[in-house]
Amino acid sequence: MTDKSEVQTCLYRQTLLAGLWRENPVFRLLLGMCPTLAVTAAVKPALTMGCCVIFVLVCSNIIVSLMRNLLKPHLRILMFTLTISTFVTIADLFLKAFVPDMSETLGPYVPLIIVNCIIIGRAEACASKNRLAVSVIDAVGMGVGFTLTLCVLAGVRELLSTGKIFEVQLMPDAFVPCAAMSMPVGAFITLGLLLALVNMITKKEA
Amino acid sequence: MLKIKHFIQQSWLLIVASFCFGLLIAVTDAALSPRIEQNKTNKRNRLVGALLPGTKDFIPLETEITIESLRGKKEKIEVYQAMSESGKCVGWSFNVAGPGFADKIELVVAVDKDFEKLSGFDVLASNETPGFGDQIKCDYYRDQFKGAPAEQLNLVPSGDPKKIDDEIVAISGATISSEAVVEIISNSITQIKDQMHEKELIGNDRQE
Repeated sequence: MTDKSEVQTCLYRQTLLAGLWRENPVFRLLLGMCPTLAVTAAVKPALTMGCCVIFVLVCSNIIVSLMRNLLKPHLRILMFTLTISTFVTIADLFLKAFVPDMSETLGPYVPLIIVNCIIIGRAEACASKNRLAVSVIDAVGMGVGFTLTLCVLAGVRELLSTGKIFEVQLMPDAFVPCAAMSMPVGAFITLGLLLALVNMITKKEA
Repeated sequence: MLKIKHFIQQSWLLIVASFCFGLLIAVTDAALSPRIEQNKTNKRNRLVGALLPGTKDFIPLETEITIESLRGKKEKIEVYQAMSESGKCVGWSFNVAGPGFADKIELVVAVDKDFEKLSGFDVLASNETPGFGDQIKCDYYRDQFKGAPAEQLNLVPSGDPKKIDDEIVAISGATISSEAVVEIISNSITQIKDQMHEKELIGNDRQE
């Protein structure tokens, strides 16, 4: 009995940690590139986007996991999209009502979470095959992993383009801000360099 | 009959789920839409309030004003009358949109009470290039419109931005965005002014 619960705890921990590093959606699976490149000019929008993704991911995994035995194989993608779009619309309405400025900054990228591969990928790969608890833990792990990655990327870009993070001056006065870092070119360069860094670390680990 | 049974067997979950999810969205929307509308009004009032000092209230104009947009479509424009605390007309404001460099630019424009001079404009929504086109939000560009005549404006490549007239000096590196704003304002303001005169909402004979 103890063995069984230990195995279960171990499985939960592994599922949670997988999203953070081993199967990190951005750095390891290269999923969800559109928001990764588009909303990481500053940390605040990146954090908001991450929170929205966590909310949608957890809710859609719960629903998909609950109805996994009722799903008809050829209609499953349709059901996933329907579930995801419902929660994205709700998240979008909440942003518009409570943080209107942030909603404007994120613009179309909130509705675009509907086609974010991470969410539909987790519904297909995990929630439609696993119990509720595993699906929720997987969603939290993947969501937090995605949010952290976005924040790291946004942190680097915001720091180099303005010298500030969260309105706090971090760079010395002599620092010359590089406006290009807040533009798409900065997103591609930072993402490329971070991916190279992650690959270097994982190669060393192996 | 068999076909219907097969159809229901296959799709009952989809139908039930669509209904439930639709209901969920409807409830959320009903709960949040007053707040969302309020946010929009607050933002507009805050922006116009800064352009027309002394404004206490905005009264939407009941008369319908329609203009031909830059894309050649007929568009209905909501014009608001800005009233001071004592009930006097401080000026007018309206929202207009038009094509920018990257995306649509939405502006709120404020005009003085006789529709003679612009009181300024502010950007409600835009997606211009950071560092270049988004300088249309900067004071040095926007200040050129404060006090400019409420008629056809012209964009000039260089000049003195501090001189207030119908010539607007372009932002260097962002000619298209600067031009877009000038065109949106010129196009709408001339048409709105004519219609307001026609409908006798403004003019010398009108007493405030």
